[in-house]
Amino acid sequence: MRRHLLLLAAALLAGVALAQQPKTIDVWAIIQNSTDQTLPNMVKDFNAMHSDMQAKLTQYQNDPYKQKLIVAMGANQGPDVFFGWGGGTLKEYVDAGKVYDLTSALNADPQWKSRYPASVLAGATFDGKIYAVPINNVQPVFFYYNKQLFDKYGVNVPTTWDDLMAAVKTFNDNGIAPIALGGASKWPDLMWEEYLVDRVGGPGAFDAAASGKAGAWSSDAFIKANTMIQDLVKANGFQNGFESTTQDSNAPAALLYTGRAAMELMGSWEYGTIDNAASDFVSNGNLGVFAFPAVTGGSGDPKDIAGNLANYYSITSFAKNKDVAVQFLKDEALSDSQVIAQLKVGQVPAAAGISDLINQYGSAPDFQNFVNGLVSDAPNFQLSWDQALSPAMGQELLRNLDLLFTQQITPQQFSQNMDQAAASQ
Amino acid sequence: MVKRLDAQTTVMAALPLAFYLLFVIVPLGVAVALSFQTWNGLGPATWAGLSQWRKLFADPVVWTALGTTLRLMVYAWLIQTPVSLALGVFLAGREPYRDLLAILFFLPLLFSAVAIGLTWIYILDPSFGVLTAVAQQLHLHAPSWLGQRWVLVTLAVVISWEFIPFHTLLYQAAAQQIPAELYEAAELDGAGLLGRFRTITLPQLRYTFVTSSLLILVGSLTYFDLILVMTQGGPGYRSTVLSIYMYNEAFAKLHMGYGSAIAVLLAVLGVLLSLALLRVSGFTRMRSQLEGG
Amino acid sequence: MARRAFRHGRRRRPLGARLVSAALAVVWALTAAFPVYYMIITSLKTQAGFFNAPLWLPPKRPTLANYHRVIFSEGITHDFLNSVVVTCAAVVIALVLSMLAAYVIVRIERRWVRWTLNLFLLGLAVPIQAVIIPVFALVNVLNIYDTLWALILPSAGFAMPITVLILANFFRDIPRSLFEAMGLEGAGHLAILRRLVVPLALPALASIGIYDAVNVWNNFLFPLVLTQSQGVQVLPTALYQFQGQFGIEVPPLMAAVVLSAAPLLALYAIARRSFLRALAGGFA
Repeated sequence: MRRHLLLLAAALLAGVALAQQPKTIDVWAIIQNSTDQTLPNMVKDFNAMHSDMQAKLTQYQNDPYKQKLIVAMGANQGPDVFFGWGGGTLKEYVDAGKVYDLTSALNADPQWKSRYPASVLAGATFDGKIYAVPINNVQPVFFYYNKQLFDKYGVNVPTTWDDLMAAVKTFNDNGIAPIALGGASKWPDLMWEEYLVDRVGGPGAFDAAASGKAGAWSSDAFIKANTMIQDLVKANGFQNGFESTTQDSNAPAALLYTGRAAMELMGSWEYGTIDNAASDFVSNGNLGVFAFPAVTGGSGDPKDIAGNLANYYSITSFAKNKDVAVQFLKDEALSDSQVIAQLKVGQVPAAAGISDLINQYGSAPDFQNFVNGLVSDAPNFQLSWDQALSPAMGQELLRNLDLLFTQQITPQQFSQNMDQAAASQ
Repeated sequence: MVKRLDAQTTVMAALPLAFYLLFVIVPLGVAVALSFQTWNGLGPATWAGLSQWRKLFADPVVWTALGTTLRLMVYAWLIQTPVSLALGVFLAGREPYRDLLAILFFLPLLFSAVAIGLTWIYILDPSFGVLTAVAQQLHLHAPSWLGQRWVLVTLAVVISWEFIPFHTLLYQAAAQQIPAELYEAAELDGAGLLGRFRTITLPQLRYTFVTSSLLILVGSLTYFDLILVMTQGGPGYRSTVLSIYMYNEAFAKLHMGYGSAIAVLLAVLGVLLSLALLRVSGFTRMRSQLEGG
Repeated sequence: MARRAFRHGRRRRPLGARLVSAALAVVWALTAAFPVYYMIITSLKTQAGFFNAPLWLPPKRPTLANYHRVIFSEGITHDFLNSVVVTCAAVVIALVLSMLAAYVIVRIERRWVRWTLNLFLLGLAVPIQAVIIPVFALVNVLNIYDTLWALILPSAGFAMPITVLILANFFRDIPRSLFEAMGLEGAGHLAILRRLVVPLALPALASIGIYDAVNVWNNFLFPLVLTQSQGVQVLPTALYQFQGQFGIEVPPLMAAVVLSAAPLLALYAIARRSFLRALAGGFA
């Protein structure tokens, strides 16, 4: 009799223990520069708030992350929540049925949904359904420059492309690399393409190409933009050896803050990279920013911008604890505390009503107001092409850009190759 | 020698054999089998007939990669062989400071390909590399070592840096075995320094020359570690050798069937190369070196 | 290598030739040593020192902070331990199995036994790139993917060909009379192996053991493909990951590189000649 009681007690205890095991979710994301602690903070905060639900974060380098995600999606064995950029890549996962539809969860909680600007949600909306929520900053692309070098050689902030080319010559004459570029990673090349095509031909040029229209990649806008790019390369606009410099190594930023390069065209996240590696450079006021210059005679609005709308978290369709995942997003994705934390490290979160908060909480209000102004004044915010296009086309684009920047193909060949690739999709 | 197996020896034979078959020989067969399938590494493999092979022969990147591999092999051999030979002969001699220098000679052997690759990247970096800085001090223009024009030569130099010590060991050991009498006889015949080198040293090192060349050529056919770490096959496809292409296809894009076809191609080329080299060098008909023939 | 009588002639070599060969030797010695020198001095610099001072000079104020960071913050000790475990286990397995195989090959005179030797020789010609995909599949089937066994077992397998070859060659040189003597005493094969062969073969075992150990220690493709978690990282993959993580922070990266070669550097310092002899494998 005693033995049975003991067994019963043991079973009960075990049952209670099991029942009290917290439900966990796996969150996958990329490694970000260490000033931006948003990703770990979201998880830490959530875990502290809930004893019955826990989140575990695993971070990977950018390119390996993309690979691992493809593998995991293919095997239906991966994270519950995953980091992304919206656009075409997310759409592919959605089309393959791998992403959980958040529309009803968002609509059921208007306060939650109202945290996110409609334009940012649009980057993760397909067929009227929302598949992700933004979690961090708006990421437009613009120029960073070394104020000391500009002052030393009497260069003014360029407002037109011709100004930029003149600045390139001045810096080269004085042995300074005009522009730092991480060409080996290929996607930094893309930023030049996105802006020049838009400046020359307006958003319509890329829209036509993205929609798969035949011959769209051979429009005048592309030919002219690519010619301008090669002119820049031939004028030694980029540092020596740019085609073997990777962006991930943060070498381009290092060139800028060690005074070996004068400018860098990069996304808003680079501010954090530079601040983290060389805070003196920033606090001494040597880091400047300016918007991509206008192209005289181009039909695009000089206030258009390109970049990433934000980064997003999505929930996988095969996640085992979807309720926990939804709660995680509700609690943390651009919550008030996260927004304030991001403002305090010089970010501009992609949240509604951000303009008022910058002056109150921002750690670098000049920079943050600049970024916010860029985004709110922009008639058109073009999502990075390698995210806007399907992954296969994105790969083709990066490959051809690399060949263009290293002068192995002509602008005409670029257009031909891209049209061919589009036709065979 | 015993003519029969008993229980003990059967086990003694079966255990290693089973292990070896499982991990080395069976995979060889599976690699061939996989080249006729389509497989993404996760789900089941589906039969693909000859489609992977047809794709292989029609793929321009394969031919580019093959060319790149061949060029790398030639560069690697051209750099390593004369240097290893010269160093090996030098070390076998009696120069007084030989021992001191030898300590430095063999340092590269201590580092993995990854460690070597990482160090050399930052020696060669166009912006932050020490070689670039030295060149600037000397008012010379440093080329972009890992850029499209020089990357293959640079890789060959780094690979050579890694392996010259090994081949030096081979040549040194062989040179030390050459009997002194041969040299004395040649000297008596009036042969000068170069003459003795040409008529005695080189022929006596022929066996080592073949072994070393075989190792260099077959080794650089499948060379992978250093290239992945230093260039990942770039810029573009400039340093994409066959093994890198196979890795990207199989493990980055998950085209495992296609990757297997490339792998089988690699293996076949390796075997053919080995056989050809052995045939051409007359190795199989080699007369005894000891006869001083 | 008893015959150290190698020289080009009894007379002193002409001065010109000696100068040229000396110059070339010094050039190579500097070329071999310079990257190691660079590695070490850079590992002792701060990031600011790396950016601002000449790269070819040692730091004015050397610091051990990079080593501290790599050991205590980045967990290189765990990767180091993994490397040790994998190397020791793989080498032990390879040596034991190869000893057994070599013994049978040398002692049993049957046709199929000779064939097994050829089978092992075939393994010498097989590059691991050619079979890495099937090994990946095998490791998944055996359910050891992403564990240290995924590294230990294939490494042991691929070390066997050269090990069997070297050991077989060595065993062949053991006089038959010794075997027969033990056989007359009634000793079985395992006993002969244990009491006769192994003690005699210790130098060869040590030599080929070191050769195998260095190859397993430095292997990169196996851990790259057969593991992915940080917990089972070995030094080569740890270095690769540090490269992605540190980027332009070269000093800590160089500290990691130095640490990864520390055991081999130690071996080299202690027993250079035997170590070098071992590294030449069976080829010298």
